[in-house]
Amino acid sequence: MEAASIPSPASHDGDSHHGPPIANQSSRVNSEVLGILLFIISEMMLFGAFFAAYFFIRVVSADDWPPGEGLPVAVAAINAAILLSSSVTMHWTDVSAKRDNQLAMRAGIVTTFLLGSTFLFIQINEYLHLGFTPKTSASASVFYGLTGLHGAHVVIGLLLLWMSAVRIFKGRVGPKNHRGLEVPGIYWHFVDAMWIVVFTTIYVL
Amino acid sequence: MAAKIRQPGWYRALAFSILGVLVCLALSTGLRAAFAVEPVYDSTSVLQISLLMVPLFFLGGIGCFDYWLRWASGRTVVDDHADHGAKSWRDYFKVNTDHKVIGIQYICVSFVFMFIGGLMAMLVRAELAAPGRQFVDPNTFNGIFSIHATLLIFLFVIPIFAGIANYVLPLMIGAPDMAFPRLNALSFWMLPVAGVMMLLSFLAPGGSFAAGWTAYAPLSVDAPIGQAFFTIAVQFAGASSIATALNFLVTIITMRAPGMTFFRMPLLVWANFSTSLLVVIATPFIAASQFMVILDRALGFNFFNPANGGDVLMYQHVFWFYSHPAVYIMMLPGFGIISEVLATRARKPIFGYRMMAFSLLAIVLLGFTVWAHHMFVSGMSDWIRIPMMITTAIIAIPTGIKIFSWVATLWRGVLKMDTPMLWAVGFIAMFTLGGISGVMLAMVPLDIHVSDTYFIVAHIHYVLFGGSLFTIFAGIYFWFPKMTGRMFNERLGKIHFWLTFIFFNVTFAPMHLIGVQGMPRRVSDYAEQFATWNMIISIASFVVGLSSLIFLYNMIVSWRTGPEAGPNPWNSLTIEWQVSSPPPIFNFDAIPSVVGGPYEYGVPGAVHAVFADSKPEPVAVGASEAD
Repeated sequence: MEAASIPSPASHDGDSHHGPPIANQSSRVNSEVLGILLFIISEMMLFGAFFAAYFFIRVVSADDWPPGEGLPVAVAAINAAILLSSSVTMHWTDVSAKRDNQLAMRAGIVTTFLLGSTFLFIQINEYLHLGFTPKTSASASVFYGLTGLHGAHVVIGLLLLWMSAVRIFKGRVGPKNHRGLEVPGIYWHFVDAMWIVVFTTIYVL
Repeated sequence: MAAKIRQPGWYRALAFSILGVLVCLALSTGLRAAFAVEPVYDSTSVLQISLLMVPLFFLGGIGCFDYWLRWASGRTVVDDHADHGAKSWRDYFKVNTDHKVIGIQYICVSFVFMFIGGLMAMLVRAELAAPGRQFVDPNTFNGIFSIHATLLIFLFVIPIFAGIANYVLPLMIGAPDMAFPRLNALSFWMLPVAGVMMLLSFLAPGGSFAAGWTAYAPLSVDAPIGQAFFTIAVQFAGASSIATALNFLVTIITMRAPGMTFFRMPLLVWANFSTSLLVVIATPFIAASQFMVILDRALGFNFFNPANGGDVLMYQHVFWFYSHPAVYIMMLPGFGIISEVLATRARKPIFGYRMMAFSLLAIVLLGFTVWAHHMFVSGMSDWIRIPMMITTAIIAIPTGIKIFSWVATLWRGVLKMDTPMLWAVGFIAMFTLGGISGVMLAMVPLDIHVSDTYFIVAHIHYVLFGGSLFTIFAGIYFWFPKMTGRMFNERLGKIHFWLTFIFFNVTFAPMHLIGVQGMPRRVSDYAEQFATWNMIISIASFVVGLSSLIFLYNMIVSWRTGPEAGPNPWNSLTIEWQVSSPPPIFNFDAIPSVVGGPYEYGVPGAVHAVFADSKPEPVAVGASEAD
């Protein structure tokens, strides 16, 4: 770690005018990465509360599960595979950024975005063919609540990926400037990992 | 005019808000037409969507998202610090990224809501001054006490602690600002949005929300649209506190000055570290509970509809899994303030510094294991009661450690009984009383007896008024000279303390008695036998209300014309007192180095931090290990 004993007064972007002193880095963790990790803890607790609802309605109140005539597990499994493969391409994008491979980075972010959109499209299509709505029963509400909450996170993730893509295509992401890709990437991995939990509890168990 | 609307600010915020309403109108009617819902135009639906979306348009208009949108569109973003620092009072009404400006914005807005929430309390006491109906009908009464509690919890106690810490904490750890200054600004601007939304519920068709601050389902699902104002406003207040907590955690972890190890941090920093952990982990639960209520209300979900398999008790479990930790969110930062004030004004090191820090973390952990003690009479499974009773009794131990250490800090200290110290000592006494009635309430038999009586009201006000509010006053008086550069009027401060202290007790102590005798809370009428006590309580509460005007007068007049305070009027060691009052725009010319503990009072020659430019000794500059 660099010793910031007497930092010269300079702003973050290196202008010559008088700005704030450079803050001491008291941890090896980067602040943006730490920020998104803490936010993900918060998000996990949000899902946790919906899982509490799932537990109370399925186990404590013993409402009929699964809602409707049974859930399309095979479709959801294929969809899970699609979402998980987008994590692989996301990682590839991140690695390419660190190696400054602009072409791979562009291909990677576009593939990730398309895979994520495909997941969302299939999920909405599944909703339209399920044969029950949230109004049907409490289990149906839990089903839509959890998958819908996850779907909302996919949308947020896609928005963040879109921002990264814009910056990548404007040539603003590279080995020294990849925070704007890394942080949405971490969030995207969280969205994917969370789907494994949602998929397991809703469709498999 | 056109140029004004393009610039971030109030004109653009207004224009965007109007645009937002139109968008919501289009969205509502469009969706209803697409799904063939009759009628196509439904004012409730438009209102509900507007409550969710118009605040975002407002925040965009006022300028919270400008930098990020520019960044996201791939344009060059230059951080020229143009939106940093305040040159005139007008700058406090703009989006600002300076933690000191945001801190003052937080504090002032929180006090505005304290006075509004306090007025609601006066209305409650006016209605309860005598049996029978005085001024308001029962439904309005329910609305008034609901908004009283909601405003004072979500828009006063929680945010004002964030405000005080916002101002003081970066200075204390030697950071030039918070880790995410723009997120900090967004966190602040969500607050007035939430507060105004709660107040606007009075104008909603069917009246304001009236289900108490707990808003239990299914009452909150079936209530008129006013309830949606609560449900959605709490989301904004919650998002604000999560964002601030995240910001504090990252700031504390990554931006401490060289030499500022965790065990050299002042206890206020420790307290906010613990509180922020609680917020990040617990607050999503109240968000989830309110999301479920919105879904039930607006889209016909069945989370809380037993007829279709829903579970009503689930609301209470999810709600209290947040809201019990929330009482520590409302108390731990105050613990930090008290530690600062006591050590400085007793001229002694904090007794058991490490145990003070560890007991904070113990409260954080235990805080998650006690939620169901709010539900002893809810009809949940009986077996949960006993473990919750035991954990609740256990949580008194770390709190007891703190009380013990504060008293031990005072022991043989050179006490300077000025205003901040009076509030701090008053806090210790009042909070201990509130803590004792808390342990009583943990006991299942007593809790069943006094559930929903004024005993609960007495307890909550001893911990939140005698506890949190006393620490807030201690902190505001303590850091007032730092924030304004001027000294408050000591005499008025003391009068404020004694009036509040005495009449606070006259107001709330008798509530224990009438509570045990069975006077129910949250009811606008009561039996004749409680008339005398209620009259005394009402009169005393009006004196408490009036005493806060002394505070207001003292703050405003001292801010304008008070005597110069100088950089360090309390002769304190922590870093924020080593810079000018108010501090320079970027806090420091160079980041100081920390060379010792924060509370070495009474140790000859003890220094907490040294500045490269003011202390020429080479030891001070070079020897600090930048870890």
